[in-house]
Amino acid sequence: MAATPARFTFRARTVVVDVPHLGFATAIAAWCAWFCQDAWRAQRDVENLIMILPASLLAVILYCFVAAGCVHIVSDPEQGAVAPRQPLAPGMARKIAGTMALLATYVVAGPLIGFDIVSFAYILAMLWFLGERRILVLLLVPALFCAIAIYCFNTILATPLPLLFFAGDAS
Amino acid sequence: MIDLTALAAAVHLLCSSWQPWLVVVPGILLGLIVHAVPGLTTSMALAICLPLIPYMDFLQALIFMTAMYAGALFGVAIPAILLNVPGSAAAVGTTFDGFPMAQVGRHNEALGLALAASCTGQAIAYLLLLCFAEPIAAFAIRLGPPEMLVVALWGMTLIARLRGRHLARGLLAGVFGLLLGTVGLSVRGAARGTFGFDLLLDGIPIVPAIVGLFAAAELFNLVGRDYIVDDLTRRRVDAGRILAGMRDTFRYPGTLLRGALLGSGIGILPGGHAIANLLSYSEARRAAKDPEKFGKGDPRGIIAAESANASSEGGSMATLLALGIPTGGATAVMLVAFGMHNITGGPAFMRDHTDLVYAVILSSLAQVGILAVIGFGFIFVAGFVVKVPLRMLVPIVLALAVIGSFALAQNMAGPITLAVFAVIGWLMQRFDYPVAAVVVGLLLGRLTEGALLRTYQMSGGDIGYMLTRPIALVMLALFAISVALPFLRPARPQVAAGG
Repeated sequence: MAATPARFTFRARTVVVDVPHLGFATAIAAWCAWFCQDAWRAQRDVENLIMILPASLLAVILYCFVAAGCVHIVSDPEQGAVAPRQPLAPGMARKIAGTMALLATYVVAGPLIGFDIVSFAYILAMLWFLGERRILVLLLVPALFCAIAIYCFNTILATPLPLLFFAGDAS
Repeated sequence: MIDLTALAAAVHLLCSSWQPWLVVVPGILLGLIVHAVPGLTTSMALAICLPLIPYMDFLQALIFMTAMYAGALFGVAIPAILLNVPGSAAAVGTTFDGFPMAQVGRHNEALGLALAASCTGQAIAYLLLLCFAEPIAAFAIRLGPPEMLVVALWGMTLIARLRGRHLARGLLAGVFGLLLGTVGLSVRGAARGTFGFDLLLDGIPIVPAIVGLFAAAELFNLVGRDYIVDDLTRRRVDAGRILAGMRDTFRYPGTLLRGALLGSGIGILPGGHAIANLLSYSEARRAAKDPEKFGKGDPRGIIAAESANASSEGGSMATLLALGIPTGGATAVMLVAFGMHNITGGPAFMRDHTDLVYAVILSSLAQVGILAVIGFGFIFVAGFVVKVPLRMLVPIVLALAVIGSFALAQNMAGPITLAVFAVIGWLMQRFDYPVAAVVVGLLLGRLTEGALLRTYQMSGGDIGYMLTRPIALVMLALFAISVALPFLRPARPQVAAGG
């Protein structure tokens, strides 16, 4: 996610575009427009569209303002070189992407395989990924978390969680 | 207003036996602990305890449930302040200034502020309930969709106030949230925006979405740091500073009282407890001479949000006891407890069991004092979170949030919502969109749509119908004044100068 905007030259003018931000705003506006179309397709009556239609139109109008703010035409090529936001610290992009990827894996694998083993593996992997190297901590923290969390949810709160090894009666 | 004979009978009920009091401390503790887990809600905790209710007498059962409710109302503030994790919609406003205070090492003061504001808010609400239980009920029954629509519109002005540095981005975020809030089945059964997934027919699970937007997005940014509070000397958990925070609460009596009154008023409306904290925060910010300080660790933000959140309990209890109508999940579970004792809430209950109603109110007032003591001890322990290295805290909080989301939704929708909204929240933060505006939109989306639709159906599309609703008109006038005041204020000195 570059903090420096893309630059294009068009008829002796430099166009500076904050592409990541424009992409994000476009994604929001596209979802709003799609949602409106989906609601329209589902049922074309006042009861269904009383709020969705005006809100979606407003979203598209607001998007135009945001998109316009993402594009700057400058005559001086040096102008507009200022980053639109603070760049991430070195290594942060990798850490954040890794954290997101591990979270996504956990969210999908937890309910499918079982929260006991997957929680243990997730916390161990995250600890390792974030720089923990002490073996005792790497094993003890996930084990304690799993024991306490599973006991609390399954036994005290009687909330069945999908488990692989400790299913027992609760699940 | 107060039936003194019934009041004396209530005092006798409470003082003649120690048994009703046995359940207060466990109830408050349970409420506090449950809300330490992101994703768990008061109604869930109350529902889990329902099997215990037949073994208690009715008064004891009610005291137990109100104690849990009281503990939970404050409990949500703890993760909101320390981790930017609002355990429920009721704590969203607390995160705005609570977490910025924690990040600069003022977590002790922030927790103290929240505890004192919560206890005072509850006390004011129950005093109001004690004095005006019947008039409140009579008022509540006259509120309908048009009035709810005005409240929802009032709540939406918060989107504009939370817009951040860029107006268009803030408003776009708010509208995006509003639309997200309407995903799922319409009132006439049309599926909208579900991508064909049955799991989304009930709408986007709100709590996992809020936890994802706020907490996970913030936690992603914290992975590069060692501790929440960088400065070692500020990482202490200090009872003196917690007490100082509690004392500081009373330096802003106007904010405290406004929050408590707003919360009590909004709490009587269905779903009102979820937006009371946001409305109060918005009004405190509007009334402040220096609104730019809000969102950067201003104590008034915490006081406004917490006092309104806590006092909304009194409002919702008024509707439950006097009308037998639940205004949210927690009071709905309480109504089930009524049924377990073959008691029906409502006007007849108020008339025939006034002593019981007063006993519940008086015990709730006493619970406020007990909550202050237990809550102090609890936040002293919870405050140690700032001493835990983030490389341990981040995975533990994320894992708890995922498990809590699954437990709440009982299907994949909870965890998946959390993960998706975590990424959206981080991207919004990165591109300088106010995440809070999406959350406000998300909370108000279905509420506004429902109120708008019912108002439309009642009025048949005739706008003149609003003229037949005096309460809605008064609320609309207050709303208009609230919106117009900030524009009128800067004009005053000019008028004076001109004069």
